[in-house]
Amino acid sequence: MRRFVMSVCVVGASMLFAGCDENLSTITGPTPNLEPTFASIQRDIFNARDLAGRQACIECHTDAGRNPSGNLVLLEGRSYAQLVGRGSTGKGGATLVIPNDPDSSYIVHKLEGNADIAGQRMPRGSGPFLTVGQMMVIRRWIELGALNN
Amino acid sequence: MSIRTLSIFFILLLVAGAAPSSAQTPAPNPDLELNIAQPDFTLVALPTNLRLPKFKSAFRVTHRFTRPLGDGSFSDLASDFFGLDTGAQIGLEYRFGILSKTQIGINRTSDRTIAFFGQREVLAQGEHSPLGISALATIDGTDNFTDRYSPALGAVVSRTIGGYAALYLEPVWVNNSNVLPSELVDDNDTFLMGMGARVRLRPTLYVVFEGSPRVSGYKPGEGQMSFALEKRAGGHMFQLNISNSIATTFGPISRGGLTNEDWFIGFNITRKFF
Repeated sequence: MRRFVMSVCVVGASMLFAGCDENLSTITGPTPNLEPTFASIQRDIFNARDLAGRQACIECHTDAGRNPSGNLVLLEGRSYAQLVGRGSTGKGGATLVIPNDPDSSYIVHKLEGNADIAGQRMPRGSGPFLTVGQMMVIRRWIELGALNN
Repeated sequence: MSIRTLSIFFILLLVAGAAPSSAQTPAPNPDLELNIAQPDFTLVALPTNLRLPKFKSAFRVTHRFTRPLGDGSFSDLASDFFGLDTGAQIGLEYRFGILSKTQIGINRTSDRTIAFFGQREVLAQGEHSPLGISALATIDGTDNFTDRYSPALGAVVSRTIGGYAALYLEPVWVNNSNVLPSELVDDNDTFLMGMGARVRLRPTLYVVFEGSPRVSGYKPGEGQMSFALEKRAGGHMFQLNISNSIATTFGPISRGGLTNEDWFIGFNITRKFF
């Protein structure tokens, strides 16, 4: 009997503990499906406007019928190579995405509007900008190695 | 099944798992007598192995002033009466001896966190064991137990030395200690090794120390540490304490204090109803 009760306790505790994690969607706000993978960032940040009305990056960072802003193309299939380990055309010496190092990645500086950026904070204009939660996801993707996943 | 249902289920299981008490004997219940080396159910925030007699209860108030003692000049601090004029985090706790050697309780702090806990003595210090050991299960839930749950499992290992001191070692595993989703963090659990001591200086006067260093997992800031002076008066225990955090339940304790430069003054008052 005692062994049975102990087993039930362990199962109960496991069920209890498994259900306690926070939902990522509570953090990511206007992009509820955003995850720290490149495919998700491409889909929810680069390609589409979000529920807050933030511009999609590819509205300007495209070479379809125009010169891409900052000479940076963020279209699907080309964006990864344009970002990871590549230098910024706007600021000499800055690298857009440095795997495992979000704090030094220039794309983070541009999206957060750090004082050291050349030109405007992205997305261009007066906002809406990416939320703190959305930036946490992008930072996490870089922190995990900025994989093409 | 909701987290709340599960947590109540789990604590009931803990209670149900307790061995049935032996046949009642006319001998007086030793749990009703004062345990001179272990006079209270907690050190500062960590639990002790003091047994709560069956069907008896105890109430505790925790009060932590939120002004760090090192904030501003000494005259600023003195003008705030060492933090007593500022806001505070207040906790109310009630515990009940549901079975012999088994207690359950609820604690609510004014940051709207509610914690449920259960503790069962599995080994008493005595002729057959140099140590007392209890199993402990708790769960914190923020926003009146509707959000952000942090369950914990652990043990309280104690050794009393005559009537003069009690030493404690408390390995505790806290789940979901990180407030961020697991997708965004490396660690979502904390394993901490609580340790503490209570030393009786005078017949009713004690000094207390406790620390909760995090051994592994999520461990921001500094491990919680507290010092206290306390006075026993009948069924009351009055404690004045200084801590590097205002946490009083395991979820916040696992997140530790911000730095070891910010210390907070506080007090605990316990009343036993037996």
